[in-house]
Amino acid sequence: MNDYAKPIPTPSEDSGPYWEATKSHELRLQRCLACGAFRFPPGEVCPECTSEDYEWKTVSGKGRVFSFVIYHRAYHPGFKEELPYVVAVIELDEGPRMLSNVTGCKPEEVRCDMPVEVTFEDITDEMTLPKFRPA
Amino acid sequence: MASLKDKYAIVGVGHSALGKVPELSDYGLQVMAVKAALDDAGLKKTDVDAVITHSHLLGAVRVHHQSLSERLGIDTAFGVSLSAGGATSCLMVQVAAAAIEAGFCKTVLCVHGDKGATRKTPTRGDGGGEFGPEYGLYGAAGAHAFGLTRHMHEYGTTHDHMGAIAVACRKHAQLNPVAAMQGDMTLEDYHNSRWIVWPFHLFDCCLRSDGAAAVIVTSAERAKDMKQKPVYVMGMGQTNNSRGYIWGDHMTELGAKESGAQAFAMAGLKPKDIDTAQIYDCFTYILMATLEDYGFCKKGEGGPFVSGGRIELGGELPTNTSGGMLSECYIEGMLQIVEGVRQLRGECGPRQVQDAETAIISGNGGNAVCHSTLILRN
Repeated sequence: MNDYAKPIPTPSEDSGPYWEATKSHELRLQRCLACGAFRFPPGEVCPECTSEDYEWKTVSGKGRVFSFVIYHRAYHPGFKEELPYVVAVIELDEGPRMLSNVTGCKPEEVRCDMPVEVTFEDITDEMTLPKFRPA
Repeated sequence: MASLKDKYAIVGVGHSALGKVPELSDYGLQVMAVKAALDDAGLKKTDVDAVITHSHLLGAVRVHHQSLSERLGIDTAFGVSLSAGGATSCLMVQVAAAAIEAGFCKTVLCVHGDKGATRKTPTRGDGGGEFGPEYGLYGAAGAHAFGLTRHMHEYGTTHDHMGAIAVACRKHAQLNPVAAMQGDMTLEDYHNSRWIVWPFHLFDCCLRSDGAAAVIVTSAERAKDMKQKPVYVMGMGQTNNSRGYIWGDHMTELGAKESGAQAFAMAGLKPKDIDTAQIYDCFTYILMATLEDYGFCKKGEGGPFVSGGRIELGGELPTNTSGGMLSECYIEGMLQIVEGVRQLRGECGPRQVQDAETAIISGNGGNAVCHSTLILRN
């Protein structure tokens, strides 16, 4: 898989455990131990209550397409083969929203509020991306 | 803030050559804009005792106001480089008023502009990062397009509506000799323009331009004796949807709602009192959403509102009368202020809004989260 041509995420101090979990095909987010809120992107404090106490918890991987766009031009050569492709804002059932791709259907079939579920794409031996497909 | 109503005025505006200006550097463009604004105001550079610049685009330069002042050959009492993306232009005028109010300075030069079209060195790379690039999210068009997709879903907004905005701006550009885009554009041309990122066509997206513009702000008291008829700042507002466009209803309700409400409250005006709007049109959708959030129509009714010539010259709310960033030139909102001031001075010739007495100006940036508003009068 060394010929993977698209950008590979650079985990930060905050996001290491998130990417460790996707590697074992689990979507794991921080959940605040003070107020119970899930959060994304990963961070040191809860954006709802600023508590520093949290756990990493596996979420359902289910959600809906809140909004989406369809790229018809590759701004990075690695995406040329995939045009047109969908980038979506996914709202997880647990609350947080995240950017991802919608796969497993044609771009023109994607709709706002469409139910989706997570699927995992191993892009290198060390990195797995969560993506979403129609549920 | 209400006490600041009409206490400050814009007394000079100017810009450099616009469009493609390969022979000038970033600072070269800015210095030319400053000279034009000083001439317009009838001021010498030493009459200015403060410089505010927009800080985020000029590559590795860190302290932009100092670098510009060095090139202008002036020391200043007050200086700051700030950035709120596309909201910066109106925000600079507000910070200028606040700085004068605080007694830090008396007359402030607000400047922005750079080589967006012909810069030799790239400004952004694609290395590193997470939660975006790996999924192919690139550029401002992608981030702003989510809002239109959601607006279409919730309110039935259409590409015809966006096309009406693009066509209106083009018609206005044809009445502005310095506008880059002089060719005809029909609604059909809009629909036929290529997709950049669906739902944005090419003609939903603003230009990339070389150019700089400058605006001079001073107290209403000082403005009385200056060369130009003062254009008074009646209302100011700013809001940051800093949790991001991804959060809550921020895609469809911009910071414009709160920012506009603040500005209208300070000015003591309502949308019906506004004669012309100069709205930050990085993308057609942002212009429409801003008009909704300012209260020119209800949320969700922006599509019908911008249609049928209502935002064209001769319509109910002539908007972006210079052609805007879609068809005149992109200097991140600076030219919106310049055009608003010129309309209120009655300098706009064939594109003059008859008897214009009030103008609303907007800035919107940081991937559709930062917003600033000015209401001006003559």
